[in-house]
Amino acid sequence: MSVGQTRLDDYLRVIELCRDVETSSANPFDVDIREKILILKQRLPELKILDELLVDAEAMLELAQIVKLQDQWLKSRASSLYIDPLLIQLKLKLLPKEALSEAFVKSWHPVAQVDQLSPRGLEKAFVYWRDLVPVSERFKDQFGTYGTRPGVVDYAELVSLGVFTKEQFETSLSELFDELLQKSNGEWVDYREFIGDSHFETKVRRAYLLAFLISEGRALLKTEPLTGRIWTMAVAERAKGQPKSIAISITGEN
Amino acid sequence: MEAESADRALLERKVRRAFQVLVLQRGRNPGVKGWEMKRHLGRDYRKIIEVLSEDVSPMGLEVFEVKGADGADDSSRFLLRFREPPTISEAETSGIRIDDLAVLAASIAFINSKQSRVARREVEQFLREKFPKWRVDYSLDRYVKRGYLELDDREMIHIGWRTHAEVDEKTLMTLILSRAQEAAKK
Repeated sequence: MSVGQTRLDDYLRVIELCRDVETSSANPFDVDIREKILILKQRLPELKILDELLVDAEAMLELAQIVKLQDQWLKSRASSLYIDPLLIQLKLKLLPKEALSEAFVKSWHPVAQVDQLSPRGLEKAFVYWRDLVPVSERFKDQFGTYGTRPGVVDYAELVSLGVFTKEQFETSLSELFDELLQKSNGEWVDYREFIGDSHFETKVRRAYLLAFLISEGRALLKTEPLTGRIWTMAVAERAKGQPKSIAISITGEN
Repeated sequence: MEAESADRALLERKVRRAFQVLVLQRGRNPGVKGWEMKRHLGRDYRKIIEVLSEDVSPMGLEVFEVKGADGADDSSRFLLRFREPPTISEAETSGIRIDDLAVLAASIAFINSKQSRVARREVEQFLREKFPKWRVDYSLDRYVKRGYLELDDREMIHIGWRTHAEVDEKTLMTLILSRAQEAAKK
């Protein structure tokens, strides 16, 4: 056995003891924290290499976990819910299933809620479906390429599939257009500020709808390559001219 | 007078909104976090919740708050729940088996008696004295999934947030102790 290994034995013993207590219902006060810390303190000057110091840090972390368990243990003992485990085990063994379930029902206040498919859930499902790689692509590595190539599901197809109705989409689109019209009022507004929202889904949704408005010529977009800023503006009359594609990444950051 | 009725209308609108927010399940788990409530109802959302709780009282419901781990307002979870426990027959009509409820009751009592954390194998071992192995495994997995129990990465079972939300644990422990005494006398 090497000198380094002998040196680490004390540490490994502390770590193992702590883990045993953490993964069982053993009393965390069985670990003498003071004694263990003194051992670690005594051994610390002997540690030379990084790996040994990491073991020391790990041992300290495990001891901290035990202190946390001791705190929880005390709180639990002090609470009115504490009953001697042996007593409760005995009582539970004595009780028939019917009496146990009756005790539960008499102390039960079920949550009242409506379980339904929400528009958000539907949107999530759509995004999942849209981003799902076709089977032919997913198993390409194993079975080679076959089948049709990935394509784009356009708005008309989504409506025909019943993912959302034309009315819902049109309403959201007009609401966003009105908002942009009001905010821009003939001036350029910052694109990221406009689509910004604390919820990433809403942000993506706004960007998605704004892309439709821009494609339809109801809004304009300009970029400043030097500053990286992007500007947008609603227009009362549909813009004409050569459309251009711009890729904008949307992140979760505000 | 006009301002008063406008305030009243605003309050009613907010209470209605609070009800809708609470009753519709948004994520995988029921309930709405404090920060979400603040976003939907404004900074004085607690007052709105108090009014709503009073309003739903005649229907046998209440708004209940489950404090988050850090105790902060934002991490609290608000739920709409039954004010009074249901009857046994009502519980049965909701499709829950008596055996399943018994497993949950025994698990909660056992975990509480062990300082709120027990190794899963210990819970299983204890429950198998009373229930078949397949039911123990199935029920534990189900209750972990539904939030009544919590399983950490060290395979230790804790009481889940849903138990804190739906179960009056003190009443449960008292009832178990008193019923056991009755059973012993018989």
